[in-house]
Amino acid sequence: MSKELIRLRDLTMEFDGERILDGINLYINDHEFLTLLGPSGCGKTTTLRIIGGFLTPTSGTVTFDGKRINDVPPYERQINTVFQRYALFPHLDVYDNIAFGLRVNKVPKDEIDRRVHEMLEVVSLKGYEHRRINNLSGGQQQRVAIARALVNRPKVLLLDEPLGALDLRLRKDMQNELKRIQQAMGITFIYVTHDQEEALSMSDTIVVMDKGRIQQIGKPEDIYNEPKNAFVADFIGESNILDGVMLSDYKVKFFGRVFDCVDKGFAPNEPVDVVIRPEDIDIVPPQQGHLVGTVTSVTFKGLNYDIIVEFKGFKWLIQTTDYHGEGSTIGIRLNPEDIHIMKKSEYSGMFGDYSSYSAEYDELTEDAGDEEE
Amino acid sequence: MKKNNSILLSTPYILWMVAFTLIPLGVVGYYALTDPDTGVFTWSNIRELGTYLPVFGQSIMYSLVSALICLILGYPVAYYIAHRGAVMQKILYMLVMLPMCMSFLLRTLAWVGLLQDTGIINNLLAAVGLPRLQLIRTPAAVVLGMVYNYLPYMILPLYSTIVKIDHRLIEAAEDLGCTPAETFRKVTLPLSMPGILSGLTMVFVPAVSTFYISQKLGGADTVLIGDVIERLYKQGNNANLGAALSLLLMILVFVCTGIMNRLGGDEEAVVV
Repeated sequence: MSKELIRLRDLTMEFDGERILDGINLYINDHEFLTLLGPSGCGKTTTLRIIGGFLTPTSGTVTFDGKRINDVPPYERQINTVFQRYALFPHLDVYDNIAFGLRVNKVPKDEIDRRVHEMLEVVSLKGYEHRRINNLSGGQQQRVAIARALVNRPKVLLLDEPLGALDLRLRKDMQNELKRIQQAMGITFIYVTHDQEEALSMSDTIVVMDKGRIQQIGKPEDIYNEPKNAFVADFIGESNILDGVMLSDYKVKFFGRVFDCVDKGFAPNEPVDVVIRPEDIDIVPPQQGHLVGTVTSVTFKGLNYDIIVEFKGFKWLIQTTDYHGEGSTIGIRLNPEDIHIMKKSEYSGMFGDYSSYSAEYDELTEDAGDEEE
Repeated sequence: MKKNNSILLSTPYILWMVAFTLIPLGVVGYYALTDPDTGVFTWSNIRELGTYLPVFGQSIMYSLVSALICLILGYPVAYYIAHRGAVMQKILYMLVMLPMCMSFLLRTLAWVGLLQDTGIINNLLAAVGLPRLQLIRTPAAVVLGMVYNYLPYMILPLYSTIVKIDHRLIEAAEDLGCTPAETFRKVTLPLSMPGILSGLTMVFVPAVSTFYISQKLGGADTVLIGDVIERLYKQGNNANLGAALSLLLMILVFVCTGIMNRLGGDEEAVVV
């Protein structure tokens, strides 16, 4: 469909002997909306800065349109960046900020004027031309930053947590806005975020990163439905992750019971990680359940209740629209398609147990990453 | 209660200001407008100021030239310091401050020792068989003295402005196509403006009123307004005319700082 635009090959990056990136291999297609997703310190911003030309990788190559660009300085790349916290020029007004790149590239005056006004319209900032940057709200500054980058019609736009400083409502609006702009202008977006929801709703492709390595690359649905390891399953959405044994194709055993599943291709009796999403679990009366457990905590979430249910000492998170009080005994049923099997990895046993559950668990992941370098 | 306390606490300073700044200012004004012999009101001192305008012009010129040279010398130094590591920055900052720990008079006298006709430089020249040079008692020596003494006043405000410039702005400029030279011209330099203006003011103001430097390093043709005022008070016995000159000098300094502040006012918001 689209052709390949950027390729990262065996990229590593070290600062003071500490390995920040460890063998990144990735290609990015023209017109793609690709998101680098991961917790603070996973190397996503470093990867972005290498593509932007602000860092030179310790080893490996970066190619753009088939040409090696490792040593090409930022000002010679057809790439523009929307910086974390915007980095707008405080000594210039809105108009001059947006016109900055065009002036540097000696675009004729009347064309500059036309394109700046066009961009102001795209980001809905008409009439703000001569406002000073410091007199703008966060959301407005954000849009100036996007306009300043897009007005140059770059082939690729890099966005480093561009919505991190905005409140939730504004963030949702800007997500739609960004997606619309990306599709309308046909520009490749490389987007860095630690917000999995943002990544799922905007991206064509998500690259999940942790510890300087790519954990999984895929479409949002695939990443969510077929996580490759416990890290991805836990980072994207909520997951109950249990130890299981793959008896044979389509048969998995956990909690002393054999379940049908839809996965195959494992060795007989291979130990595996079993992922069960909280929203996929059906609650039934205890006598009809595959498993029976006790509710230990209930949190009202608006759309649903988050309940923690203890099964044989292991706590699961279940999302349900029906209320089940603390202490009540419930049964659950698992359909084959609700069970996802993953190979064991270095992350096995680290995630997916809700024993230390607190109501703030989803906020924790959101606060986690802000700035990294 | 709180209000009372703050007034109480600031009382010593207010008294100090009244006793040693406001009252003397009034005295200067009084002297400037009275006759030296009779003590009655007169405009004659003010009228006489016209004859000193060339000296004023000379003082302003020397100070401006010195301030500009300080800027040219100081900017690269300040830029360099601002881009070192935290520890190195502190060390270099201390080194810039170091000369200020020594007496201003001593520092100027040291230059006399270097530059005078039988000074170190000329003796060295003579030793290798070269002719002696007229170094002291020249306009260049006066400018040198000013630059040497006031350079730290230029570097320090420049440094503190440059060090505050957000590095991401530099990256943003490069990202938008600026070569390093263009980045400097379009981003770093405009954002350094508050430091440049305050550095220029900090050098210009003491330089324009100095007398010691021109007396020690200058000659008969490098008389500055400070020298004239000093002479009128100490030798000419015309404190009234001296007071009038002081008044004019003060107004000049106020106007200059006013202009600087006006120019810098626009950028003020940038720094804060």
